[in-house]
Order: sequence, then C-alpha cells, then structure tokens
Amino acid sequence: MVSGNQDADAQLVERYLAGDATAFDEMMIRHQRRIYRLCYRFVENHEDAMDLAQDVFIKAFEHLENFRRESSFKTWLCQIALNHCSNHVKRHSQDFVELNEYTGSVRASAQSQLEDREEREQFRRLLQRLPLKQKAILELRINEQLSYEEIAKIFGRSVSTIKASVFFATEKLRKLVKDASKGPEKA
Amino acid sequence: MFGHLKSEDFANLMESSEVPAQWRQHLDSCHRCRTTLESLSAVHDEIISVDEDIPEPDWATFRSSVRDQLFARSVQREASRRRWARWVMRPSAVWALSVMLAVAIPTGAVFWHLQKDHNTESIGLETPRTTSPTELIEAGTDKMVFDDLMQLTESEQEQLHHLLQSAQKGSSHHNEKAP
Repeated sequence: MVSGNQDADAQLVERYLAGDATAFDEMMIRHQRRIYRLCYRFVENHEDAMDLAQDVFIKAFEHLENFRRESSFKTWLCQIALNHCSNHVKRHSQDFVELNEYTGSVRASAQSQLEDREEREQFRRLLQRLPLKQKAILELRINEQLSYEEIAKIFGRSVSTIKASVFFATEKLRKLVKDASKGPEKA
Repeated sequence: MFGHLKSEDFANLMESSEVPAQWRQHLDSCHRCRTTLESLSAVHDEIISVDEDIPEPDWATFRSSVRDQLFARSVQREASRRRWARWVMRPSAVWALSVMLAVAIPTGAVFWHLQKDHNTESIGLETPRTTSPTELIEAGTDKMVFDDLMQLTESEQEQLHHLLQSAQKGSSHHNEKAP
C-alpha cells in the first residue's frame, strides 16, 4: 500500500513536471489535509495554519525539480512543512510564550462537552511545551501515522533513535499533565 | 531491574492494542513497567483525541489560493528575469560598442599613418627642396652653358663670338625691317 502510494506520488510528480495541470490538483488533494493539520499543530490557529500550509505547497511545487526520489513525496513534503513551521515558531517564539502559558485553572462547567473541549485545549497547550523536534516526531508518528522509517528519513536519524524520541516525548508530556493536574490542587 | 522494557519497547507497545507474549509475562510481574505503559498509552490516546478539534478548511479555496500564488510568483519571476535580461543586454550593447571603438580607432590610425607614408614616398626628393623646380632647371641650364663656354678653345671662342655678332646683327636688321 505504501509502495503503491509512493508510485502514485512519483507518477503525479512526473506528470506535473511534464506540464500536466491536472496533476497539481491530484497531488494537493492527496496531501493537503496532512500538511494543514501538521501546520495547525504548530501554530494552533486556522489562519496561520492555512498560510503555512499554502507556503509549504508553494515551496514544494516551485522546487519540485529538486525532489530527488530518495524518499517518498509525502516524506519530502512533511520535511518541508516541519522546517517551515519550525522557522515560523522560532521567529514568533515571543508570541507563543503566552499561548503556551498553562494557567492551571480548570473551570467547572455543567456541559461535559465543553469540559472535554476545555481539557483538550489544555492538553494541546501542554503539547506545545514540548521541544519542537520531539513534538514534531510525536505528531508525525501518532497523528499522521508515518512509519518510523519515514520519520527517521525526515530527521536523518536512526529508527531506534526516533522510537526512543517518541517514548521520551510521551513521557515528558505525561509528567507535564501530572504537574498540571497537581497545580490547581496546590493553588 | 534486569529485563525491564526499553524506551523502544514502550514506543512499540503503546501503539499496539495487543501486547506480544514476550512482554506480557514481564508486564504481569513488573508493576513499574505496567503503570508506565498504562500512563503512556493514556497520553498517546489523548494526543489522538486533541486532533479532533482541528477545523477543516475549504479545500477548494485552499487549492485555488495555492494555484493563484504559484501563478503570481511565476509571473513575478518571469518579469524579474526579463528585467535582468534587459539589464544584461544594455551593458552588452555598451561593451560591443566599446570593443568596436577599441578596434576601429587603432586600425584607422594605422591606416592613416600608412597612407601618409605612401604619399611622402611618392613626392620623394622634391619635398626637401626650398626652390621651385623651374628655377632649378633654369639654374642648371645657365650652369651648363657657362661650363661649356669655359671649356672652349680660343679659336672656338672666336667662332662663337662671330656667330653671336652675326646673329645679333641679323636680329637687329630683322627688327629694323619690321617696325
């Protein structure tokens, strides 16, 4: 299946480079959701995620001739997205400090749906506290379901290093959740 | 402590719903590894759940926006390429003109110099003279007649004298006859 997807991507790349305009839409449809969601997890807002995802595709299409078929198109695209998002986050790190600030306040609400949403919001804030690389590895593995081999290619690390990173990132997040849940009690 | 799960093993186990038999035995007996795996799996599930809140954009608008931006950038690139080409062309014209002048001026100078030399050679010996050719011819004739006269013997001088006198008489006679 993975190989089939890779072949399809490779064919689309060839078609696009040959001037087939329909290949553009097909490539976009295949990867737009993944790239947008990946960007969203870095910036946590729709507008910025849209801009970042669009930039990623523009970069990719403009440099498609430089795409060496050593990795899959999906991996290459994710790599561009991660670099672009990391740069964006670093440039706007000051803005993200406030966003990542975990207040520890848990508002009681009668509506359980709203509570769930609130909890998820808090969890997402905690997720933002992870180092960029660890967070990216975690997202790529858990939500984008990239294989360890693919992630290893993106980061230029061994599979075992990536597996260890997933463990340490999850462990760190667990501790953050634990500390956060202790916070209101202390207060 | 021996036989505890490694970080890689935890990474594999928290993703899989079924625990392989090789680890099942250890997890049943090791409270530490079991609780760690449980808490990690809970965090893992939570990471998946937060993804649900990510909004879905209008993908058609998204694609058309990317297409438009790509087109705009390609137009911009083409325009800058043309500007660059024009910029290159202008100096190249200047360069071509400079090269032409650099070649034409020395060549012209050399030709002019050669032509000048040729003209000088054609008028040759006449140029250094200050006197006119007519004067020189006249002076030469006088000189030759005087030299001839100096070389005449006495009898020849006498004959010449008589000849001149008779010629003089003849010319005066002729002048008298024709008033």
